[in-house]
Amino acid sequence: MPKLEVENIVMQFPAVRALDSVSMTFEPGEIHGIVGENGAGKSTLMKILSGVLHATSGTTLLDGNPVLLSGVRDALRRGIAMIHQELNLVDELTVAENVFLGREITKGGMLDGSEMVRQTNGFLAEIHASFSATEKVGNLSIAGKQLVEIAKAVSVDASILIMDEPTAVLSDPEADSLFELIARLKERRTTVLYISHRLTEVCTICDRITVLRDGAWITTVQAKDTNPSEIADLMVGRSLKDFFPSKAISPEAPPTLEVETDRGTGFSVRPGEILGLAGLVGAGRTELAETIVGARKSSSVRLKMAGRSHQLHSTKDAMKLGIAYVSEDRKRLGLHLSLNMVENVTLANLRSYGNFKLNARKELDSSTNWKKRLDVRVGDMNDPVLNISGGNQQKIAIAKWLETKPKVLILDEPTRGVDVGAKREIYNLIRELAIEGMACVVISSELPEIIGLCHRAIVMREGRIVGELQENELSEEAVMRLAAGVAAA
Amino acid sequence: MKRNSFVSEYGALIALLLLFVINVATRGGSFLQVENLRNLVSQNAAVGVIAIGMTLVIIAGGIDLSVGSLTAMCGAAVILLVNSFAHSGMSPNMAILVAGLGAILIGAFAGLINGLVIAYGRVAAFIVTLAGLAGFRSIALVLGNGGEIRSEVSALQDFGFGGVPIPFAKDAAGNPVLFYWSAIVFIAIAVLAGFVLNKTRFGRYIIAVGANERAADYSGINTQTVRLTVYAILGSLVGSASMLVGARMNSIGTGSAGLYYELDAIAAVVIGGTSLRGGKGRIWGTVVGILLLTLISNMITAYRIDTNWQGLVRGIVILVAVLMQRGRKENE
Repeated sequence: MPKLEVENIVMQFPAVRALDSVSMTFEPGEIHGIVGENGAGKSTLMKILSGVLHATSGTTLLDGNPVLLSGVRDALRRGIAMIHQELNLVDELTVAENVFLGREITKGGMLDGSEMVRQTNGFLAEIHASFSATEKVGNLSIAGKQLVEIAKAVSVDASILIMDEPTAVLSDPEADSLFELIARLKERRTTVLYISHRLTEVCTICDRITVLRDGAWITTVQAKDTNPSEIADLMVGRSLKDFFPSKAISPEAPPTLEVETDRGTGFSVRPGEILGLAGLVGAGRTELAETIVGARKSSSVRLKMAGRSHQLHSTKDAMKLGIAYVSEDRKRLGLHLSLNMVENVTLANLRSYGNFKLNARKELDSSTNWKKRLDVRVGDMNDPVLNISGGNQQKIAIAKWLETKPKVLILDEPTRGVDVGAKREIYNLIRELAIEGMACVVISSELPEIIGLCHRAIVMREGRIVGELQENELSEEAVMRLAAGVAAA
Repeated sequence: MKRNSFVSEYGALIALLLLFVINVATRGGSFLQVENLRNLVSQNAAVGVIAIGMTLVIIAGGIDLSVGSLTAMCGAAVILLVNSFAHSGMSPNMAILVAGLGAILIGAFAGLINGLVIAYGRVAAFIVTLAGLAGFRSIALVLGNGGEIRSEVSALQDFGFGGVPIPFAKDAAGNPVLFYWSAIVFIAIAVLAGFVLNKTRFGRYIIAVGANERAADYSGINTQTVRLTVYAILGSLVGSASMLVGARMNSIGTGSAGLYYELDAIAAVVIGGTSLRGGKGRIWGTVVGILLLTLISNMITAYRIDTNWQGLVRGIVILVAVLMQRGRKENE
């Protein structure tokens, strides 16, 4: 008997039908991958299964019995736990306090801290976590926080675990240990619903894979019978050959931007060049980028634009020099989610739209141009960008910075949380920009991205630049050796 | 769901129209008298002017609790300045004008200090302006020796009760009914603030800073300057409001002037649909909020209800407004 079953689930939102009569089954101990472009309905389905949303119609069967989940607590009580992309943890509390948040163990009306710590340490040992229950969650890495969420799921003895893009924020070794953990959960007969944009890993770790497209179920296949490119084709409904655009010819012009750090290391990037900035999560790439654009105060980095030295004190200074930074944290730093597309696109360049009164017509025209050029799919440009898909949000974030006409464009994880179709469009765009003479720096944790897109890459480890790889030296192994600090074999 | 979001979007306006209709139905002619309608607009004009500035501060993600005390401090300064200018031989009208400008400057300066500590000292706005609430009142009391400061220039009160004649409107004695300067100032400032918020670059920056300060910073906006400026603007509006209060009373009671203005102003902003979390708001909503609060107190008087109930009614209106706003957020 399937562990969990959904029949003819329909989710109707005021404007869109997010799920259209979707039926699926999940077996005990199965790792079931769920893939689809952004907007395909994956998140909506997971929200229904974890009790966050109520389906408009359709049935959910748990162990063969129809259930109506009244909310997240109800779902948890029935053994369904979800680990969200944005981890729901309180940084100020300890691991144990987070694990037992809302279900604290008490003794005579008082919190029984030592018992909670004892039990939490047990759960942590079970999932091979290296930190202790008394550690403050704020001190843990993202991978560590994810382990806390998993420990939480283990603590309620969840028989169904839903994971939304768990590896999006993990480096490769961290992802590998997550996969080992998932394998152990499988041995405990836990059903894992695994959502990811990373098709290679879905094909590797899952038993079966379901493809959703435009709110409809497309197919469910055995993972061993398929491959990433076939899945990608199913997701977009068309063939997706040569994922990366061909590389533009490597340029020979003098560098646009030169960066030098205190340790004597540095890098430079020339007009028309796409430079990769590789490394594990936490290697200090974002910090370096934020220092370059003046968002982070540090005297340890010196930079030259077109051969002249500059001292930056704010992002405004960087903008004046022509350095733009598209943040990895689109939702918090890159965009204003409550503002609409027009307001977001023009915000960094608002001076060109009037010194006092803004030229609304001009704002609209230029947003319409970006919408066309980047193929941003939004219904109404006056709606808040909060509700549009990750890919389209990312395009708006990029448009916002292209508006400032930068000479150097730093893109931090430009395709994180972006669907396959938009990913490809973003790669093509970066390449076009380079051909037009922009100097591009791409920070990425996805090795295929660094190798497929960039002319050259520098690798960081523990806050420092540890190596540079020319185009002919670029390979996943070479980058990983530098990033992990392993000597060449 | 559609109807629900309409109600939460325009709830305050609907409530205002509804009360208006109820008043027309039950009080008829006496409610529709030009004087009564005029009073509705001008009665709380001073708080209204402050509430407009408060709307900008709240949209930028801040709050200002010091406006009531600052009204008393600026008001005390206005009367003292008017008196001393008049004594030094300046013409009464000139004395009033210069004193008014003085009050606006003093208010702006006080707002600037609030803003400096908040934006550059990185102290919570609630705390900084709570200190202002205590401090400005104290300065006002010192200026007035703890009591009332009376104007010795009668032209001041002429300004307080002066205005533009409303066409065709005559009172019982046959004199033209004046649309008070205070109401004109209130409306003009509302229109100006609406323009600044919705049509100018600075207005966009206010919204951006309130919605997400770090993202605004990453967009090259000088967020500290924006925050500083909205407090200074509010301060200058408090200065203008203190002028309206002083002119109306021809004096300033340093212990009582502006008392609870901060609460009334914040209430009007919230009732009007501006989010206390910042990043979203509207000036017209605040104007509706002020009119709604005024109409409610007007009704309490007209229906001869014990005025002690007024606070409770206001409290309920504020809560209902906030509950409706929550509905609006969920819809988005």
